[in-house]
Amino acid sequence: MPEPRMALPRPRTLVHPGPFSPRRIEHMEAAGGQHLRLSIPPQAILHDALVDAMSRHGVACASMTLIGGHFSTFSFCFAGADPSGEAVVRYSAPMTSQSTRLLFGNATLGKSQQGRPIVHCHAVFQTDDGVIAGGHVLTDRCRVGHTPVTVLATSLEGFELRLQVDEETRTPLLRPLPEPSHG
Amino acid sequence: MGELLHVEAGRMGRVAYGRIAPNEDLVQSVEKLCLAQGFRCAFVRGALGSLVDACLLQRDGSCQTVLGPAVEIVSLAGEVRPHTDGSLRAALTGVVSDPNGRVYGGPFVAGANTVCVTFEITLEEWLPDNPIQVPAFAVPLPSPHTTGDQSEQSIE
Repeated sequence: MPEPRMALPRPRTLVHPGPFSPRRIEHMEAAGGQHLRLSIPPQAILHDALVDAMSRHGVACASMTLIGGHFSTFSFCFAGADPSGEAVVRYSAPMTSQSTRLLFGNATLGKSQQGRPIVHCHAVFQTDDGVIAGGHVLTDRCRVGHTPVTVLATSLEGFELRLQVDEETRTPLLRPLPEPSHG
Repeated sequence: MGELLHVEAGRMGRVAYGRIAPNEDLVQSVEKLCLAQGFRCAFVRGALGSLVDACLLQRDGSCQTVLGPAVEIVSLAGEVRPHTDGSLRAALTGVVSDPNGRVYGGPFVAGANTVCVTFEITLEEWLPDNPIQVPAFAVPLPSPHTTGDQSEQSIE
């Protein structure tokens, strides 16, 4: 049977400010990962609670799914065009919603250029005025409300995710890299 | 009634993390990541990033385009399975948000969802107890629909 076909929109090829990198997919693998279920309690700051919980299990890098929960303070921003032209995209100013329901989110735990834990998080949520929206979550400004936030984490082991400025996009991005040897 | 529920027993195997560069197609990059890792089947265990514009399949078969320059992926689920001709196929569905935070959902159309700045994805290999039998080096016959108008593409 022939597959259904139709005309599709022509994808746009964006021109980023830096040199085109020949490496289009950077990847690393591990033999397996730990699976952890977290329940982030009321009053906790999301970033701190994720980092602390994972650290207690010896996990420095992970992929996480935020299944749901409630926040008494929720901070986020959207991505849009960068009017300065320094990059193609930049984040909007932070916005804050009070009583906010998290519907679904994904987060990555990695390391800053200095080796400190960082969390990159996108989510869809319902703000205090009832609007359902999606965007980049500022996890260090999000406080859990009356319902715990449930998180499923898969550890990434044998390599690390480290923030580096990407030359092509001139944006700090997480990259999978071999773990530095000690000694 | 009458349909049998198909249960495939198996286990999770290796975990792979990939960072996809700008202007690469989301769906086909996930398939290429499986090729690079030697995965025949995989589940998405984490994914976030941005698209130039999103192209989501609608119920009537049309494509809903969400304009960027940065459309953020705020939810994504999916799996990769071998097709009958031996090729790999990723089926990815999710929710995206436009530059004003408005959300839209649906299946991501292969070949029409290019990465804006970066896309992070974690795949977990799925190892069925009874491996899926597909030709190892099958070469699919060219479809008569693939010649002619270059604007036509598969919607999978």
